Amino acid sequence: MIQCMLYVCLLLQAQSEATAVPPEAVALVQSGLKAENLHDLDGAIEAFHKAADLAPSSVVVFFRLGEAYLRKGDFASAIPPLKRALELDPDLLPAHQLLGFALLTQGYASEAIPHLERVHEYAALGIAQLQAGQPSEAVTNLQAALAKNPNDPDLLYYLSRATVELSSQSLDKLLSTSPDSARAHEAKGQTLYQKKMYQEAAAEYEKALSLRKDLPELRLELGQIYLANSDWVKAEEEFRAQTQLQPGNAEAAYRLGDALLQQGKMQEAAEELRRSNELHPDMPETLYSLGRALAVANPAEAERALQRVVALERDTPLAGSAYLALASIHRKQGKAELATKEMQEFRRIQALNTPQPHNP
Amino acid sequence: MLGLSKTFLESRAALCAFALLAQQTNSLSGPIFRVMPLKGVDFVLRNSPTPKKYLIETMPGGVALLDYNNDGLLDIFLVNAGHVANPMRSPYSFDRHDPTYWNRLYRQNKDGTFTDVTKEAGLANAGDTNYGMGVAVGDYDNDGFPDIYVTNFGKNILYHNNGDGTFTDVTEKAGVAAGGWSVSAGFFDYDNDGNLDLFVVRYLDWSVAGSKTCGSEQPTYCPPGEFPPVSNILYHNRGDGTFEDVSVASGIAAHKGHGLGVAFADYDGDGYTDIFVSNDVTNQFLFHNNGNGTFTETGLDSGAALTDNGKMLSGMGVAFQDYDNDGLPDLIVTQLPHQPYVVFHNDGNGAFSPQDRETGIAALSGKSGGWGVGFEDFDNDGWKDVFIMQAHVFDNIEIYDTSLHYRDPPLLALNRNGHFVRADPGTDRPVAGRGAAFGDVNNDGWIDVVTTSLGEHPQLFLNRGGNLHWLTITLRGKRSNRDGFGARVQVNGQVRFATATGSYLSSNDKRVHFGLGSAQTADIDIKWPSGIHQVLKGVKADQFIVIEESVQP
Repeated sequence: MIQCMLYVCLLLQAQSEATAVPPEAVALVQSGLKAENLHDLDGAIEAFHKAADLAPSSVVVFFRLGEAYLRKGDFASAIPPLKRALELDPDLLPAHQLLGFALLTQGYASEAIPHLERVHEYAALGIAQLQAGQPSEAVTNLQAALAKNPNDPDLLYYLSRATVELSSQSLDKLLSTSPDSARAHEAKGQTLYQKKMYQEAAAEYEKALSLRKDLPELRLELGQIYLANSDWVKAEEEFRAQTQLQPGNAEAAYRLGDALLQQGKMQEAAEELRRSNELHPDMPETLYSLGRALAVANPAEAERALQRVVALERDTPLAGSAYLALASIHRKQGKAELATKEMQEFRRIQALNTPQPHNP
Repeated sequence: MLGLSKTFLESRAALCAFALLAQQTNSLSGPIFRVMPLKGVDFVLRNSPTPKKYLIETMPGGVALLDYNNDGLLDIFLVNAGHVANPMRSPYSFDRHDPTYWNRLYRQNKDGTFTDVTKEAGLANAGDTNYGMGVAVGDYDNDGFPDIYVTNFGKNILYHNNGDGTFTDVTEKAGVAAGGWSVSAGFFDYDNDGNLDLFVVRYLDWSVAGSKTCGSEQPTYCPPGEFPPVSNILYHNRGDGTFEDVSVASGIAAHKGHGLGVAFADYDGDGYTDIFVSNDVTNQFLFHNNGNGTFTETGLDSGAALTDNGKMLSGMGVAFQDYDNDGLPDLIVTQLPHQPYVVFHNDGNGAFSPQDRETGIAALSGKSGGWGVGFEDFDNDGWKDVFIMQAHVFDNIEIYDTSLHYRDPPLLALNRNGHFVRADPGTDRPVAGRGAAFGDVNNDGWIDVVTTSLGEHPQLFLNRGGNLHWLTITLRGKRSNRDGFGARVQVNGQVRFATATGSYLSSNDKRVHFGLGSAQTADIDIKWPSGIHQVLKGVKADQFIVIEESVQP
């Protein structure tokens, strides 16, 4: 498409220039094009240079010279002739495109951006914007490029980087403009949590809560910090508060159930986990915890929950854990044959999910 | 199989009633223990940590409670580690000739103080190439005097107790030097021939030359997965003062792991003592004794190998006793922080299920790593409680996780009808806890604890006692091994399996202790390893008794 557009543009350009270009220069351009066809890029560049000396106002000559350098991979040398072509014809779109690429490869991201914008080259534009510290614009353009090539690994990589950068910029702005806000403390808490600095993270969340008790998810996140720190009682308190704020939040109910389970409060745990399963049916983690909570008190219901995990998860580690729990229930019931089969399934899944050692 | 008879269930119900009453009548409040240094004990566990982070540095050291001179008072044997140079240069030496690094034997005097008798006992200088780890105690030659087996990174040492206050190194003659990195060990009689055999747990395939450090921000000790697993060793006692390595023939050597702890009990009631090995980031091993000199590793199939969600444990210390008074021995395995200690409940029929949440242990753990551990009845209410020495493996863990600490205070959890609740152990001073040996140091009928911590003096957790009743039994095997190890002793419905083995690197008082609650008499039922069944009715409480194995049919 671009090649075709390039050909048409240059053809038109050549016609308009025909009278002004000396015949020797035209011959040299033709000679250069032939050399290009023969993959003699150095010969082509030499011919285009001589043509440029003879026709210093020819857009075609300078464009061809820049293009030849690009083909050769000499991006630095491509930039001056392409710039000269655009001086002569500021609307020459192929020159904008090639110059944008050349500048980007040489690290002149900001300078490349207007050229890439002119030709709507979203992928390169997004990358240039990311490098130029414009992550918001980069995200928009990379998403536009991805719409055309949804699985392009390079685009996915740059989009991921751009979103991280955007997040970081937004966070910096939040912390600089409203450092004492609830959201700023929440954001600091999240960062500390990721660094496994649980106590410090919890302190930030508690500050956020003291400022705004109504923030959704805040208690859920704080509860998870306590959970990571093996502080089950405090985790339970936060999850319980979250379920009161949002009785329809299935995750909050699941988390509360799991915190209760950790403390051996099996009956209460089962109630919350059942409620979570009603709010959001068939979440495997919820069903697994429900199976664990009921293993002693109600093995029949536990078995149903765990069988559902197995059906939903098939070969994942969670399915393996469910088989292990089923085997434990059946061993207690004296159903040795069934337990043995479930242990076989557990071993099979364990083997599937165990990384194979590298051969030296 | 043991079979849960009506009589058993009735006795359990009676036990619950006793316990309830006991809780009401035990009038003492406050901490269970008074924590104090041992008078006359100047031992310091010198592990010599270096910036090179040699893995051995963070793993010592064991402690044993034994009455080596049969004067009725428990003495203390402490395993020291050694000097580690920074860096170690070949030929490697841990300078154990330096008295600073000796293992030490302290004789208890009548006034409760201790006297260092290491040199006169012939226990000085444990070998310059040996970095000390743990200790096992048992009367392997049935001469009535407890012998000492010391494990090392290097060669292990068997000290024969000569009965005159001295010991002789008989390792070479006995053939039990092992080699590599030995950790916990224990004496037991796996073939019921009346002679104590020896099981040695080994950690991993490590050498000074092959040492490495891990850690992104600061060098730290590498996890066990960085080193190849190794097999454990079973030595059969020939009865003539020598042992035969039967690790291969018995099936023990077929299983490689990263073993740290060991405990014995007959979990399926078939009359043969089984072996549990706590492994660090490997499946836990439950070696079922087939009764014919071989073992089958049944950890996974019995449900005692993994956490309830199928993860491997960082198994370290272990205890193997019946915490819920159903007559079947259960397991508790300590591990790293953020990994709750695991209670494997013995469900009968050879099956176990993780019950750390149901018992409340999960809620009490997770913030600390656990090492030495015991299921002992500290408040004499008839239910075995839990005591755990705690600390992290890494001496710089705070860099990696600010919520964790290298040093932690111990955990004491009292058993309330099978559910554990946190109790005050008498100290909140954090230490780099490792070994713990359980026994009645002052012979008052209440179980005490002697603990070890890296870089520190040992501590005595002296039980403050109370007004409940107790009974402590010394078994004297005749046809069975003299220590009576492996006997199943039932008192008023409670069961203990006679052993000195368990915890971490340590050896406990071999006497079998029972808290009786408010009961003033006890009915005793003993199944000896020989198969002899012995019953004593109406035995008066609050006494130390010696029960000799009845050899009459």
